[in-house]
Amino acid sequence: MPEIKTNMTLDCKGLACPMPIVKTKKAIDQLEEGQVIEVQATDKGSLADIQGWAKNTGHHYLGTVEDGDVLRHYIRKSRPAEVKEEKKHPHCVSNEDLAKKLAANDKITVIDVREPAEYSFNRIPGSISIPLGELEDHVHELNPEDEIYVVCRTGNRSDMACRLLSEKGFNQVKNVEPGMSGWTGPLENAEK
Amino acid sequence: MSTKVAIIASNAGLFDAYKVFNIATASAATDAEVAIFFTFEGLNLIHKQAHHQLPLPAGAEHFAEGFKNANIPSIPQLVEMAQELGVKIIACQMTMDVMNLKKEDFIEGIEVGGAVTFLDFAKDANVSLTF
Repeated sequence: MPEIKTNMTLDCKGLACPMPIVKTKKAIDQLEEGQVIEVQATDKGSLADIQGWAKNTGHHYLGTVEDGDVLRHYIRKSRPAEVKEEKKHPHCVSNEDLAKKLAANDKITVIDVREPAEYSFNRIPGSISIPLGELEDHVHELNPEDEIYVVCRTGNRSDMACRLLSEKGFNQVKNVEPGMSGWTGPLENAEK
Repeated sequence: MSTKVAIIASNAGLFDAYKVFNIATASAATDAEVAIFFTFEGLNLIHKQAHHQLPLPAGAEHFAEGFKNANIPSIPQLVEMAQELGVKIIACQMTMDVMNLKKEDFIEGIEVGGAVTFLDFAKDANVSLTF
């Protein structure tokens, strides 16, 4: 798997339970919302613990890469807005509709606006990675006449992206709901 | 609303101490609100001197090496971490009276209270544990 872009690396190698969790909590408090941390641990129990911790704190567990004895856990600090933000982009499609379009080989563009680390672990084959924060800088690479489907994890970041693209004159933009959290269609990751 | 974890610590072995403080720190790090009520022998877990030298159970002394090899933090380190994470430590007044102990005999930053002090916290706890 290629290098995964993170904002912070936390070394918990050699530490026993509950230290990896305690240190992860302290570290994530230092991060900005949306940023990604890599937690390196040798405690085998940390694999289940980190996932339980993320589920209970609301942060987003992206995945774990095993590197010899070291477990590299990736977690993204969640934004409160992901839960509360009101959806405003009027054009939405379901995951199933997008899957049908892809299966029919329709000429569409799928943009994934999640962070690169999320994209690395699972993504729709053929989707283009443009993190929400970088979308504005990449708008000129996209064609306003194309039929564009925007996807994220739960439909919130993609909603913001759809609104941004609409403002820039894209009128065939659709928000995919809920997005990768409910995606049952084909997947690929950086290893394949 | 966040998860509330209420713990009663009433034993003074090293194993007991790890059960209490591992669960407490892990819960607090997972954004739970945690209170521990220390009563009877459990008071040793927060006693200034005693909590530095808690005994292993009879016949289990050989595990001392295991703790070292597995790089397990010491009990005083875990206590400090628990306090840093906001774990509420309550010492049982009644037991202190019986054992003739003063608040000054314990680590800094504790509260002293009776059964109702704990019950008031525990009445709407999601998780209640006794060690």
